[in-house]
Amino acid sequence: MAGEIKHGIECGQFEALLSEAIDGQLSGPRKQAFETHGRVCTICGPLLADALVGQQLLKSLEEIEPPVHLLHNILVSTSGISSARLLATSPERRAAGMGERVQQWWDSFVTPTAVFVRQPRFVMSFGMIFFSFSLALSAAGVKPSDVASVNLRPSAIKQKYYITQGKVVKFYENIRFVYEFESRVRDFKRSITPAESETTKPNQNRKNNNDTSEQPDQKQERNYSREENQPVLAGLLAPSYELRATSFELRASDRSQLAAPGYKPPAVTVTANRRFV
Amino acid sequence: MDEAQVVGLLVRRCIAGDSAAWEDIVQRHHRRIYNICYRFAGTSDDAQDLTQEVFIKIYRTLKSYDAGKGAFMTWVTTVTRNLLVDHFRKTKQDRMTDSLDTAPSEHEDAQPLSAQIADPSRSADDHVQSRETRETVHQALQKLSPELREAVILRDLQDMDYKDIAGALRVPEGTVKSRINRGRAELARLLQRTYRQVI
Repeated sequence: MAGEIKHGIECGQFEALLSEAIDGQLSGPRKQAFETHGRVCTICGPLLADALVGQQLLKSLEEIEPPVHLLHNILVSTSGISSARLLATSPERRAAGMGERVQQWWDSFVTPTAVFVRQPRFVMSFGMIFFSFSLALSAAGVKPSDVASVNLRPSAIKQKYYITQGKVVKFYENIRFVYEFESRVRDFKRSITPAESETTKPNQNRKNNNDTSEQPDQKQERNYSREENQPVLAGLLAPSYELRATSFELRASDRSQLAAPGYKPPAVTVTANRRFV
Repeated sequence: MDEAQVVGLLVRRCIAGDSAAWEDIVQRHHRRIYNICYRFAGTSDDAQDLTQEVFIKIYRTLKSYDAGKGAFMTWVTTVTRNLLVDHFRKTKQDRMTDSLDTAPSEHEDAQPLSAQIADPSRSADDHVQSRETRETVHQALQKLSPELREAVILRDLQDMDYKDIAGALRVPEGTVKSRINRGRAELARLLQRTYRQVI
């Protein structure tokens, strides 16, 4: 663009003259050269047209009327600074009366605080707190009408305190009664339930629960085979044997029975679990 | 007594502690400051906050004003501009703008925007249409880069001359002119694109 000479002026010169041309300050041969360049140049021509349109559009924007309270807000926000600053510097204010000085001192604190409180962010935060609080109250079942009807006399507050205390004690007693009743019922159930079922169940559960390997337990299978009631030939008479510490002896009558032809020894079942591990 | 002398006297009275003089200064300038802030920030709430901040800063730094260096209005504009730029940086409103240096689009030879927007025959709902156009222009203005935006606001909306704008922005006069032209053309192109999308 720069350096390209068309009809006496370069594109850079055209851009420099653009503002004056739009403002109508160009005249004579400069104006003629400018217009000719604008008609011929494919870059500067659209630039001139766009700049003219842009200016017209911007000129169409009207002046905005500021809000009514803006002037007041500005004066309030700066007056706070003013009173604090002038209090220390102005000799007239130093000579002011006690009441006026207290008033000025009070204003120097209150006015900046009021300005701060009126800021949108503070108002938004306050609004959020109020909203959360009201939401929590409504969730808790508190109604504004209840709050309005609250009696704040000391006697009423005292009465309310005793009523509340009574309710709490009553609630505690009710809960205690229910727990005691449940405890008695549990004891009663335990006393009427057979003891065997209670003693065997935990063992079975423990046996099942201990197997977490998900592998077949061969030892247990072997034990289960031993647990079956298998007939064992005792080889002796059931009612008449005597077990001693190291050996047992048969009486003479028993020996004769054993020696008799056609004698069949009684079958004895062994139910004791023996672990052969 | 001309305007500059009146303002100079008001400033001196204000520095001396005359609250009425300060009120007079605020009353004279708050409308203009508010408009600059509104056109730069885009919303009324931001403009109000910024206008208050500008006057608080002016009040605090009023003693530093030197009438020999420039007009009071230029000084006030400088303070406003600095606060606006600070606000822009804080809010991180990085707006994507297309530079004039980019290649012209394929619709460059399309009908000029003035022909698209300006309707020679004044219709019944002309008022509504012009209000919508102004709103569109205001929104497009927010899409300009801060440098171009402040330049066109001060020139085309506040009617400041190039010298005062250069003083307020602390840039050479040639840069001011360049920014104004680029800002105007950029605005026209942005709106041209918007209208094309709508159509």
